[in-house]
Amino acid sequence: MSARLAGAARRAAGALRFSRFELKIALALVIAATLPLLGALLLAGRVAEENLSLGLDPRVVQRLEGIPSLYGDLFQARKQLYAEQARALARGLPRNRSAANAYLASSLERTPRLRRVTWFGRDGRIIAEAETETPNPEGEWREAPARVALPRGGRLECVFAIEARFFAEVNEARELAELVQGVDVLRSEIRRSYVRAFGVLLVAWAAGAAAVGIWLARRTTRRLSALLLAVRRLAAGDLNVQVDPGRGTDEVAGLARAFNAMVREVRESRDRIVYLEKISGWQEVARRLAHEIKNPLTPMKLAFQQLEARWKTSPARASDAGFEQLLGDAGEIVREEIGTLQRLVDEFSGFAKLPEVRPEPADLGEFADEFLRTSPQIREAADVELVRASGACPVALDKALMRRVLANLASNAVEAARPGRASVHLGVSRTRDRAVLTVSDEGPGVDRALRARIFDPYFTTKGSGTGLGLAIVKKIVLQHGGEIEAGERPGGGASFTIALPLRATGPDAPGAPAPR
Amino acid sequence: MTARVALAVALAVGAIAPRPVRAAAPEPLPARLAGRGGELFASVDLSAVFAPSLERQLGNGLTNVVAVWVAIVPEGGGEAVALYGRVVEILFDVWEETYTVVVKDARAPGGARTVLRDFAALRRFLSDERDLDMGLVSELPSGRFVVEARVEVNPVSKEQLQRTREYIANPPATGRPGGSGGSRSFLGAVASFLLREPDPGTGVHRLRSRPFARAEVAAR
Repeated sequence: MSARLAGAARRAAGALRFSRFELKIALALVIAATLPLLGALLLAGRVAEENLSLGLDPRVVQRLEGIPSLYGDLFQARKQLYAEQARALARGLPRNRSAANAYLASSLERTPRLRRVTWFGRDGRIIAEAETETPNPEGEWREAPARVALPRGGRLECVFAIEARFFAEVNEARELAELVQGVDVLRSEIRRSYVRAFGVLLVAWAAGAAAVGIWLARRTTRRLSALLLAVRRLAAGDLNVQVDPGRGTDEVAGLARAFNAMVREVRESRDRIVYLEKISGWQEVARRLAHEIKNPLTPMKLAFQQLEARWKTSPARASDAGFEQLLGDAGEIVREEIGTLQRLVDEFSGFAKLPEVRPEPADLGEFADEFLRTSPQIREAADVELVRASGACPVALDKALMRRVLANLASNAVEAARPGRASVHLGVSRTRDRAVLTVSDEGPGVDRALRARIFDPYFTTKGSGTGLGLAIVKKIVLQHGGEIEAGERPGGGASFTIALPLRATGPDAPGAPAPR
Repeated sequence: MTARVALAVALAVGAIAPRPVRAAAPEPLPARLAGRGGELFASVDLSAVFAPSLERQLGNGLTNVVAVWVAIVPEGGGEAVALYGRVVEILFDVWEETYTVVVKDARAPGGARTVLRDFAALRRFLSDERDLDMGLVSELPSGRFVVEARVEVNPVSKEQLQRTREYIANPPATGRPGGSGGSRSFLGAVASFLLREPDPGTGVHRLRSRPFARAEVAAR
């Protein structure tokens, strides 16, 4: 558990460790993102102040604050008006009660906004009253009382209507004025808060830019770090190192792909050189062996022939039939073994004296076709088919040597199929930069564990083979600048894939490549 | 008592922290201290602050706020040993022509409403701060002490600050009757979050009584 935590802590610490390159990219993005905003930050206070000045013109604020007072003046005027109207009604009030009722009723019609009028006597009792039932023409209203003391005692109480909207309006104006007043009082703080807000947003923006910068930089530096590590491994001699170029198409991905291609090429060149050097060594061994074996063969053969000739003329021949028989058998064995050794010497010599490749422009498909046409012994020994999957496959070929390659592979296929009849499949195709020739059979195939060794000289799985055939094949292919690989045929059988470099066919194309 | 202490503590920072003073009363603050049942009550006369000229401001039909803090502090200075605070909201009703006063203090945090018929009555109400509960007599310092009053006229209240925050975060909605609709400004929202209470640069009065000794606290 603690190890897991320690691992997580190490990963977190690693994630928070920034390289100088990452910091530079992040810094560049932060500067690019915030520099214009810094200028804006300097202006933010002024802009906020100017906006507040526009919105909070002192004259506007003053007028707003004065609105409740204006309504107060309006209310005063109404009250005075209503008091004056009440006094006028009082002056015309008749003494007679029945006439008073009629007077008050008619006063409701005469006096605007008068809703109710009541005459109270000295003792406070109602003497006459009238009230209108008609709706107020100015809408909703509130009561505005006006009282007049009568000269002969008692009082006249009038209830006038005052528009209810005035009260709503004054409340609304008051709330608005208080709000504006508050904003005005807080003006400096508001300006500062806008500058602070802009600053906070600027910092957030810068942090975002830094995060994006680090993210972008890390995407690149991670790949560069991997590339650097791979270069170090390559310098240490690891030719199997490869880096993941990812799915990107940028320069770093291109660099990674180029690195991988370079390492592959170096590895293949090294393998080729190593193999050819090894083959050269084996060729020298073969040459010496051939020489050392071949030299005593003729004396041995001549000595035995002399022995046989002497015995044929010997008088003891008639009496020693047993020796006659023994000599005959021994002669047969010696000649057979000398023949075997002679063939071995021939093969060693052939291997030791493999000629240099002299390539000429050719088409691989046509070459394969021609090989089949001119190799009746192959067609007799096996069912052969050729599939040309691509059009032209221009290559540089030493046809004679390449025929030997195909003959060796076909011969192997025929032998592998025994005692049955072999089926050999030839295929010609091309990739972006390679012409591919495939020779496959339907035999038992090559054991996967042996595939790496079958091209080694003197390595054979056959009882009678010298183990030189596939070594010769590989050498010839390598000398053509190509590669050969043993594999498995889909459906069973061995498959040998030869990839040769395509020959440039354009007007600027160089001639055939120099033999390697 | 607990609520009073809480309010007192809450207000203490504002009361005691040194702030710019616009005008200092030249005359000592008229103040009386009395003990009753072991509790200390202070009465102060703030009429020097509430001059008749304030009628125009307090009668303008807008809500005016008066914050009063009374504290007992050692004569040589130091932390207040007793503190009382109240906030008075005054609204002149332009129709009724009366002053509606809402007093919020430790005893009535929600506010106690009073209607005063004219400015003279309002002035008396504001000036004559009687029997302010200052805690226990036993907590008075042994040395001499003074009664200090701090009066702020129309300080920025929390409600006002909140209204302003909402306004700058969403000006169209706040300015419109009903207060809905409109799109919120992101910069305004951040600015409203960062809006702070300003220093009470204006309308602050600080008064100081003559020195008292503990023995001068009259028993009633």
